[in-house]
Amino acid sequence: MQQDAMAREGQSGKPTARFRQGSAIRQLWETNLEVFQRDKMALFGLLIFAVFALVAILAPQIAPNDPLNPLKNNNGDWIKDAMPYWLAEPGEDEAEGYTNTFLLGTTNIGRDIYSQLIHGSRSALLVGFSAAAAVAVIGTVIGLLAGYYGGWVDTILMRAADVAFGIPFIPFIIVISAFFDPSIWNVVIAMALLLWRDTGRVIRSQVLVIKEQAFVSAARVSGASDLRIIFVYIAPSILPLSFLYGSFAIAWAILTEASVSFLGFSDPETISWGYMLQDAFNSLALSREAFYWIVPPGLCIMLTVMAGFFIGRGYEEVLFPRLRRM
Amino acid sequence: MTILSIRDLSVNYATQDGTVQAVDGVSLDLEEGQRLGLIGESGCGKTTLLKAIVQVLPRNGRIAGGKILFKGMDLLQLPAAEMRQLRWREIATIPQASMDSLNPVQRVGSQLTKLLRVRGGYSKKAALKRAADLFDLVGLDTERLTHYPHEFSGGMKQRAVIAMALALEPSLLIADEPVTALDVIVQHQILEVLRELEQELNLTVMLITHDISVVAQVCDSVSVMYAGRIVEQAAAEPFFSSPAHPYSLGLQQAFPNLARPRDVLVSIEGYPPDLREPPSGCRFAERCPFVQEACHDIDPKLEAIGDGRAAACLRSNEMDVLRVQSEDPSLWQRVEVAQGLSLAEDGQPPPKSPPIAMKGDLDAPLPATISAETPPSPSQWGEVDDAPLLELQNVSKRFKIGGGLAGLLRGDKEQTVYAVNNISFSLKRGESLGLAGESGCGKSTTGKLLVKLIDASDGEIIFDGADLAGMDDDSLLTFRSRVQLMFQNPFEALNPRFTLYRSLTEPLIIHGWKDENKRLDRVIETLDRVNLRPAEVFLDKYPHQLSGGQLQRVVLARALVLHPDFLVADEPVSMLDVSVRAGILNTTRRLARELGLATVYISHDLSLLQYTCDRIAIMYLGEIVEIGPSDQVINNPQHPYTKALIAAVPVPDPTIENPPLRIQEGIPRPTEQFIGCPFAQRCPDAMEACLTVRPPQITDENEHTAQCHLYGEHRDSPKLERQLP
Repeated sequence: MQQDAMAREGQSGKPTARFRQGSAIRQLWETNLEVFQRDKMALFGLLIFAVFALVAILAPQIAPNDPLNPLKNNNGDWIKDAMPYWLAEPGEDEAEGYTNTFLLGTTNIGRDIYSQLIHGSRSALLVGFSAAAAVAVIGTVIGLLAGYYGGWVDTILMRAADVAFGIPFIPFIIVISAFFDPSIWNVVIAMALLLWRDTGRVIRSQVLVIKEQAFVSAARVSGASDLRIIFVYIAPSILPLSFLYGSFAIAWAILTEASVSFLGFSDPETISWGYMLQDAFNSLALSREAFYWIVPPGLCIMLTVMAGFFIGRGYEEVLFPRLRRM
Repeated sequence: MTILSIRDLSVNYATQDGTVQAVDGVSLDLEEGQRLGLIGESGCGKTTLLKAIVQVLPRNGRIAGGKILFKGMDLLQLPAAEMRQLRWREIATIPQASMDSLNPVQRVGSQLTKLLRVRGGYSKKAALKRAADLFDLVGLDTERLTHYPHEFSGGMKQRAVIAMALALEPSLLIADEPVTALDVIVQHQILEVLRELEQELNLTVMLITHDISVVAQVCDSVSVMYAGRIVEQAAAEPFFSSPAHPYSLGLQQAFPNLARPRDVLVSIEGYPPDLREPPSGCRFAERCPFVQEACHDIDPKLEAIGDGRAAACLRSNEMDVLRVQSEDPSLWQRVEVAQGLSLAEDGQPPPKSPPIAMKGDLDAPLPATISAETPPSPSQWGEVDDAPLLELQNVSKRFKIGGGLAGLLRGDKEQTVYAVNNISFSLKRGESLGLAGESGCGKSTTGKLLVKLIDASDGEIIFDGADLAGMDDDSLLTFRSRVQLMFQNPFEALNPRFTLYRSLTEPLIIHGWKDENKRLDRVIETLDRVNLRPAEVFLDKYPHQLSGGQLQRVVLARALVLHPDFLVADEPVSMLDVSVRAGILNTTRRLARELGLATVYISHDLSLLQYTCDRIAIMYLGEIVEIGPSDQVINNPQHPYTKALIAAVPVPDPTIENPPLRIQEGIPRPTEQFIGCPFAQRCPDAMEACLTVRPPQITDENEHTAQCHLYGEHRDSPKLERQLP
């Protein structure tokens, strides 16, 4: 029956039903495509994320050693503070009773830095994407509800946002860490609890503009329910904004995770780039000029954060064309 | 003496998609003391011409050729510094929407004196005196010099802008749409100011507008622009009595005229040509009902046709015959192919025997022509009966402002706005009612109440026996399928992310139409009904791919797709170009008659309401002050406010002088409840009783009701002494 109808349409030259829908999803997909086609920097950002994601997924395969267990030489002693093989004095390793194959050397308790770096991408991306998703989803829903319903709903949600704005971020995470066992999830929870405020406010203001437009009234006059208006009519228009704030949130989350780890509030059993920096700092790596220990995690943090901002900027340029001229 | 002489001026805009020839070979002469009206629809090059004259073209604009001679000087050769000296001092301009150009953080008076001192070399004292004189000249109280722009009403700001333009005694004033977006009474007063100034100062004026009635009221000569060219030049009187170009003919017949109402307005179908690649022949040929073979090949030059008139038309010698023919609206009804979309528009008259018999409608003379295509017969539309479909009883809507937590903290007092105040009327099936009044009179709020976008604070709105206030979800959904709203701005009324098919099918989905094919059939049927043909072409389009007139038809189609019984149209054509307005109105009017649809039109334009409505209600400060059959209200107005509104409507005929307007602009804020008549403050006929006693509603034998003491038991109450403008 359905097929017959489609066939009949096809014969009479009518466009098929699927093609005519012009769904919001397709439009959204086109917006996303536009972002990455227009802006090569955003594409570069996406590429960085793709590479790190691949590394994170394949980490156990790529990493030559276990990142946590100290490496031992033939005598059963830890291989402390080995230089990268391309820097080390030739023959030194044999004298110490091991073969130096370490791309970035070892730590002061004999862990392989290169393997740590690879495993660090897992926690970075995990924190980055889950926190960003949480921030974007919570912020979008709160912004939609506050903007659409207005009145008391708006008052309560926006005063809650004011409170969230008033809480200092890093100290808040430290308090959270004190309540729960140290874990990278503390950062995710803290971001979800606090950082929805920016997204929520921006989305709310956008909803206030859109809901006054005549097509929303038209939907209401046609009998559309509140939920239908919010999710079919308004949400697709503001989703690019959620993506914008989401991609900035990725960068913030990675940066925050690094800061918290560097301050020493992270789980010592999970390797992250921030943790590596803290480890290096505490072991006086700086004074020993062990740049191979400090620079790579720093670079990785910088690259992922930059990727987030590049993508965010791409969205901004599509959303606010006036920025292009600057 | 010739003040301004433009010779063969061409202006190009460089755009991404090629060069647009916005002005193409325009020649124009302006004598001292002449008042020239430059008319044409949007995008025809009027404003570009203005910008070229004062040389403020945007960066991508370039003067491609020609001369602009001002008092013998070629402005195009003038160094920038000298040109700067000329602007304002010799050539003053009032740009579009200039009332918003006053600096909001400076007193209006100091903006004026600063100008006088910097540009005019006045001393401080002389500047103050001159500013006061200027305010006098434009009819503003000199005390207002110390006020800030936000303390001015729209009309006062426009007067201040005129005062500033005149400050340095320019010899030429160019005003671009000086009264567009102003309320009809304010518009009348600004035109009055302009007229007086011209006489007092012997000013040379060039008035740019799309509204031919404004030109008729102010100008002594007319130039018509179309697609970057001037197509007709004439003195005002012959232009209005016997236009000599088909485009001018169409423009005049597209305008509703209170003094000489027409049965059917014409709509100039189609769109101006793409000025990136203008056609080689006549630019109007695509839309011209009198087009001949030769028109597509020969580009007509603007040629003198006697009487000091000129027209660019190959058939200008036959114009007397064509003029008579052009009275037939069906002549203008054509099938157009434009922008890759094939569509048929209609200037078609309603069918000979409307299926719904209505009071007052059967006598209306119906033109002889019938549309070739009869739309599908109405399927599930309602039956005819005499019971009112909609009834309002003492309905009020109040809004509270300045309240809430923020207001409390700021120390604002909560105020009540009486947006709609105790109105009652009823509407039968198939009947159309117009709601008119100045902005802020509550007509749009009434519209929202009728479709239950907002709820009434008091009173009852009964739709087909059911009270709107106490509806459960099911009956509300049924109500939603029977009552629809048509919006003012077609560019906002459709979801930009939906195809037209999606927009049109949404109401059907909401109301449980599960079968995709039935939905598609209904959508196509409805598109066909509003003359978007073939409908299939439009299904895949997004709103931005259509013109304003087409979009408004889609908006109408969406309103009709559920086969409602009642339609509210809020300013349905005010955002559209004059040439396509009539098409929308004709379609709406024809469909309402065919389908027995009850309609409420909301508009500030009385001539439009007279054209479309059986009855008209005049609103003032949330109250209906007069309601009755359209011709009664327009031709025999009872309430002083109605009289004023009608007197203020400019008539597109220079031989008809508007009666003097006897009221001041400015509606008081509707935050107080009046003991007496709300209009008493502005009423020229106010009596003592008006201030203390509520006016009665007096109905005559034509069901024409006015709420005024002039016709009640207090008619002999002593008149109030007050100064009138």
